[in-house]
Amino acid sequence: MSSDNADLVISRTIQAPRAAVWAAWTDREHFAKWWIPEPIRCQVIKMDLKPGGGFETRMSEDGGKTFVPHLEGCFLEVIPKEKIVFTTALTENWRPFDPWLALTAVITMADQGAATAYRAQVLHKNAEDSRKHEEMGFNDGWGTVIGQLEKLAMTLRPAR
Amino acid sequence: MENYSSALNNAFFALCDPTRRAIINRLIEGPASVKELSEPFDMGLPSFMKHIKVLEDSDLIASRKQGRIRTCQIKPKQLLTAETWLSKQRALWEARTDRLAAYAEKLAAKERAK
Repeated sequence: MSSDNADLVISRTIQAPRAAVWAAWTDREHFAKWWIPEPIRCQVIKMDLKPGGGFETRMSEDGGKTFVPHLEGCFLEVIPKEKIVFTTALTENWRPFDPWLALTAVITMADQGAATAYRAQVLHKNAEDSRKHEEMGFNDGWGTVIGQLEKLAMTLRPAR
Repeated sequence: MENYSSALNNAFFALCDPTRRAIINRLIEGPASVKELSEPFDMGLPSFMKHIKVLEDSDLIASRKQGRIRTCQIKPKQLLTAETWLSKQRALWEARTDRLAAYAEKLAAKERAK
């Protein structure tokens, strides 16, 4: 399997100037309003927009009473109003981390007339997934299992 | 949803062990007794039962006891759908990007109204 199979590319033309898209992404207050779908609440713990800077969000499913871990990562590249790259395979200051789902997201924004061409490329750790496939002896069932576990996890009460 | 809380880690923990993966593989073929499941493994029953308990706690299998025989079976709801992990990730990022677009457009409209 080529690694392309584990990559996602999401593109949108956003009817807003690049400055507004950038503000929505990089202002913690704005960011918390769209990063996680309602009614789940999002809290931005870290958003240190520089290479090696920490990126951490938490979420609350009980209206803000308790927040649990959502995403923890590290920015790799930040070019104002153009590009944001972050990964969950590292945490703040490049510390190696083994998240449940390793991903690197490459976000770019470019002018498209008065609008913004927005693109999110999300890279996943395909080699490991392939290896898991073999270990499990599930062939293409591993993806199913992960999907199910994800669903399942949502019904479990987080332990911390 | 992209919740990657420790709850999910617990569920993954259940499957990161080769013994537990082998148990799941066997149960995909159909229900089996604990005795039958334990046969391929060179371990004592108490150790084997710990693996069964982890799988039960993570809701991947269920077991019931009849007389002296405990029978395990897979929870099909948890394991049998065609939805793939990557398509879930795609849906998540598509929805997230839609929310960003709507939010940025609202922000720009507010800016223009000033």
